[in-house]
Amino acid sequence: MADSSDDPAAIAREQLRAAMARLAAGDSAALEEIYSATRVKLFGICLRILGDQKEAEDALQDVYINLWQRADRYDPQRASPISWLATFARNRAIDRLRTGKVRGGAVPVDEAAPLPDEAPLADSLLIDAEREAQIHKCLETLDEKAQTYIRAAFFGGRTYAQLAETADVPLGTMKSWIRRGLIRLRACLEASEKGEDAA
Amino acid sequence: MTTRDPGSPGPDMPERDYKTIAAEYSLGLLEGEELMAARARMLNDPDFAWRKGWWDDWFVPLSDDIPGSEPGDHIWQAISARLAQAQASAARGEAPANIAALGEARAARKSAQRWRWIAAASSVAAALAVAVLIARPGTTPISETPGGPPLAQASSAPLMASMPVGETLRLAITYLPDQSEMLVSASGLSADGVHDHELWLAPKDGSALQSLGVVVPGEERRVPLSGEVTRNIANGAQLLLTREPLGGKPEGVDAGPVVAEAQLTAV
Repeated sequence: MADSSDDPAAIAREQLRAAMARLAAGDSAALEEIYSATRVKLFGICLRILGDQKEAEDALQDVYINLWQRADRYDPQRASPISWLATFARNRAIDRLRTGKVRGGAVPVDEAAPLPDEAPLADSLLIDAEREAQIHKCLETLDEKAQTYIRAAFFGGRTYAQLAETADVPLGTMKSWIRRGLIRLRACLEASEKGEDAA
Repeated sequence: MTTRDPGSPGPDMPERDYKTIAAEYSLGLLEGEELMAARARMLNDPDFAWRKGWWDDWFVPLSDDIPGSEPGDHIWQAISARLAQAQASAARGEAPANIAALGEARAARKSAQRWRWIAAASSVAAALAVAVLIARPGTTPISETPGGPPLAQASSAPLMASMPVGETLRLAITYLPDQSEMLVSASGLSADGVHDHELWLAPKDGSALQSLGVVVPGEERRVPLSGEVTRNIANGAQLLLTREPLGGKPEGVDAGPVVAEAQLTAV
């Protein structure tokens, strides 16, 4: 947690947090500032989940309109503003997928690894390097199948049924792989929380 | 072992507690009834909601691996236009933006005046007493619930719920145990021609949601309830409203997003 005032990431985070606070207090102008700071990242997320330019554009609009309506739900104590916004955007995109309008899952599981850069990563607004390293570390302790399909679910917004179909295995098998993985993943993440100082 | 997987649970299927379900929901693995149940649980099970947030917070750093993408100037123009429109409506005391998003703004504007029990942060019970009186006249049932003798009823007094839809409109729901029916008044809403809204009961035991039928905008309707449903109705029972394609949630298809919720409470 770098608090040094010359750390660009810390500055960007504080600016965003302040803009979120202003938005929650009813200052609509803050939305534009939030938009300019976060649009590239959030559009990347919508595009990845929805796999369709037009759908992703609609989703992005909904994200910011919803944000304006519900900025007061952001708890500055809890998550960094960009984490919160990224979760918010991903959840909106998944909701959109599940309403059935979008075919979705445009990215095959094998390619569920990161796409080549099309645009710079969202400025300095990376989420949290320590937690990022930890989740990757814990994922790597899982069986290869669990790892692959948990990632595919996260990056592709795939359901159990879609993953089973793609992998050509029975639904129960896919659920079993993933659930086993999730149980181990939780144990690993919880252990890291307990031993935060040691880690 | 409580999983009900059609795909061979078998001895290999790991135990699935709420913490795992929260992870499945966070990742977006669930669909259909399981998704509905998880959404309902977010509203009435704080441990589950906390755990879902915990998983969200752990998974979200993965999105740093997703390359950003520039959305183009027209997107901000569209957002600011919608924002300006919503603000103008708000300034005139009209329907809030999320109603506009549902395509109901025009009707909402008109109906806001004739909405007779705008509770506006006032006593729901007092406001809804009016709803009972005006909802009495018989109308066509909105759902074909199978008959069957009502089981022992969990509640013998009328229960009511006032479900906020946007900031000024409310769906008024009244449960009449002696008649095993529910009165659903949607007289403030109007159809957008693209979606319907379906009302659900979320049983306390976390079992699958039970449909209370599609809400008919602009009307007050009676919904006959089967014993299967009424035995899950008690003071505090959770109701959800989801946005669906016209005609309600199609068989075998995922339910839409929850757009409103409310609790049935004794008058």
